[in-house]
Amino acid sequence: MTLAHYMTVAALLFLIGIFGALTRRNIIGILMSIELMFNAANINLAAFDRFLHPEGVAGTTLALFIMTVAAAEVVVGLALLLAIYRNTDTAYVEDYNLLKG
Amino acid sequence: MIEHAYLIPLIPFFASFVMLFGGKEDPHSPMPWVGIGAMGVCLAIAVSIFWAAATGSVALPYEHNWHWFSLATSVAGRSFVYDMPVGVLIDGPAAVTLVVVTLVSLMVQVYSVAYMHGDIRFKRYFAFVSFFTAAMLGLVASSNLLVTFACWELMGLSSYLLIGFWFEREGPCEAQKKAFMTTKLGDSGLYLALLLIFAKVGSFQLSQIYQFFDKGLMPATIATIIGIGILVGAAGKSAQAPLFIWLPDAMEGPTPGSALIHAATMVAAGILLVSKTYFVFLASPTAMESAAWMGLITAFLAASMALVSYDIKRVLAFSTVSQLGFMMCALGVGGFTSGLFHLTTHAFFKALLFLGAGSIIHSVHTNDMRLMGGLSKKMPITFLTMLTAILAISGVPGLSGYYSKDMILANVWNHDHMMFWILLFTALMTAFYMFRLFFLTFWGDDRDHEKFHHAHESPALITGPLVVLAILSAFAGAGLNSNGLVYKLIAKPTLSVMAEPAAAPAHAPAAKEEPSTHEPLAHAAAAEPAAAVSEHAAVHEGGGHGTHPEGHLPGWLHMTAIALVFGSIMLAFFLYRGPAYPVADAIKANMGPLFTLLERRWYFDDFFYGLVALSDKAAALAFWIDANVVDRVFVDGWGLLARIFAQISDAFDNLFVDSAVDGVGGIGNDLGVGLRSLVTAGQVQEYLMYAAIAFSLAATLILTR
Repeated sequence: MTLAHYMTVAALLFLIGIFGALTRRNIIGILMSIELMFNAANINLAAFDRFLHPEGVAGTTLALFIMTVAAAEVVVGLALLLAIYRNTDTAYVEDYNLLKG
Repeated sequence: MIEHAYLIPLIPFFASFVMLFGGKEDPHSPMPWVGIGAMGVCLAIAVSIFWAAATGSVALPYEHNWHWFSLATSVAGRSFVYDMPVGVLIDGPAAVTLVVVTLVSLMVQVYSVAYMHGDIRFKRYFAFVSFFTAAMLGLVASSNLLVTFACWELMGLSSYLLIGFWFEREGPCEAQKKAFMTTKLGDSGLYLALLLIFAKVGSFQLSQIYQFFDKGLMPATIATIIGIGILVGAAGKSAQAPLFIWLPDAMEGPTPGSALIHAATMVAAGILLVSKTYFVFLASPTAMESAAWMGLITAFLAASMALVSYDIKRVLAFSTVSQLGFMMCALGVGGFTSGLFHLTTHAFFKALLFLGAGSIIHSVHTNDMRLMGGLSKKMPITFLTMLTAILAISGVPGLSGYYSKDMILANVWNHDHMMFWILLFTALMTAFYMFRLFFLTFWGDDRDHEKFHHAHESPALITGPLVVLAILSAFAGAGLNSNGLVYKLIAKPTLSVMAEPAAAPAHAPAAKEEPSTHEPLAHAAAAEPAAAVSEHAAVHEGGGHGTHPEGHLPGWLHMTAIALVFGSIMLAFFLYRGPAYPVADAIKANMGPLFTLLERRWYFDDFFYGLVALSDKAAALAFWIDANVVDRVFVDGWGLLARIFAQISDAFDNLFVDSAVDGVGGIGNDLGVGLRSLVTAGQVQEYLMYAAIAFSLAATLILTR
């Protein structure tokens, strides 16, 4: 198992996340896809740490912190989502066009 | 007493203000006695100083200064703070002059009480006279050249005020303007000289400037420039050629005022100034020689003009100019003592002459000598006192003018023989025109019966001063000359570092002098034999006092001069003794152009009027050029040019610059419109998709590079 393997997995995971974010109509699905992209980035972080600085644990610790922060972020995102849902009565993003000029 | 010398200018100064602002204007105001009392106190102080100096109980020069103000200045690149002092400097000449000024002023004021009585501006006249006297005394006593200059200008102001005292009439108005402007022309030269002195020496203190010159620190060229500047100032104030034109006209003022200001004292201020700054002239032979020639030319021209005038005051005015020329010439040839001696004696007898003339005018109500005659019978005191003055000014032995004029002639003889002959000839003209005045006025029978009938002797207030001045005119010369007192009091200043001596004085060859005496006037013939006598007959031969050889003529020359003076008097007697003067008229008829030349004052007035008219024309031309050429072509043309350029610039701006700016904006706008057409639904995902595409493209570009 080399660095390239880890990075390939991360890239695939990221692409899946992108695809999901672009194609899902339901905003819950989009949020989930964004989480996938997050985790792809975390995999890269852990892998680089493992291969470039094998003697320390700083990278993995940072990945743990990022997961915590991401969880908090998701809470905020879900709260926003809930507010939008209450205003528009829908979870489909094509109906969210308040910002269109 | 000398420590109270500062009071001498201050007392009349305050008196003048008291008279000017105190009391009411009244033709019979008692105010004049304030001025007379003040002047009496000043005279007492001045006489006590003089007496102390003459007996040697006080050492001159006496100087005392007070702090005035400080100013930062820089001289020759070094800056320092200069404490400007104000103070008194009483040297020998000042001690003598203070007495002369206070005495003449006192006499004039007493005289004026009677003369000006009933004038509507009676009080004001005395305020002006006191003010003038204060300024003159300040000039004499000041140790600071700046104060001297201020007093000099204040005298100019008082002169202006007194000439135009009767300003309702046109004559005095014109005369006062002429006097003021002419003297200011000279003052500008003096002012520049003073500034140059300060720039070089860094002080206005006479004693310090003297030290500077004494050490030989002043370059001769600068000294020459300063000397010429001072001479220009002196020429204006002391009516020297060519600026003497104002003095004859200044006789429009009240006669006693003329006696004080334009005869005895103020016009002598130029001479005094030259004597105060004599070290400048000692350092510059050129300035010295200029002074001598200026004085000589003035003396000659003015005397010649006096020969033909019929206005009694004009004759005296020309005579004043001429005598001032004598003094200036004396200073110029190095006869410091003789010049100031003559100033002193002249002040007495010329004031007396003017006051006497005033007495006559007061009596017969005309200035024209042709309407007088035989007045000796009607006005005996005026007659006798005037005769004394006329004998004194003519240089008849024994009277004051004789001593001083003799000394001047001796100095000039030792300097340059040609100048001596011209000056001697001028002295003979002086005797002639003075006796012409005398014979026309007092001698023979009356010409105008009505005027003669009304003529009367003047009151005691007028004759009193005349008698006092007559006594002084008679004895002041002999008194000052006894025991060499005048040499002791008026000692010639010296410089320890003398400038190189001027080209050997005297000893000019005989042939050079002879042509100068060929003047085309009647009694010139009398002068010729003198010129023919052997020239080299010992310059230093004569003179009783071995200590002062420069003050004495060779014996034969002395006798000749006296004989010639009597000859001139006889000539005047011969020409003008009767009620009619046919011989004089015949000479006048035969020498018309010469008389016209003299009567027109050698065309000096016309020259200056022409100069003024020319400058007026020049100014008009300059104004026309300014209005029509400069304004039209340059100012207006420049504006037009600027406008055309601005229009071109505006068009360029609109066409190119604005289009470029708008074009850049337009590109951004078009791009935005084009890109906006890609967005259809306005969903987040759509944007995200474009972002992803852009990111992928960028990543591809970077990675495949």
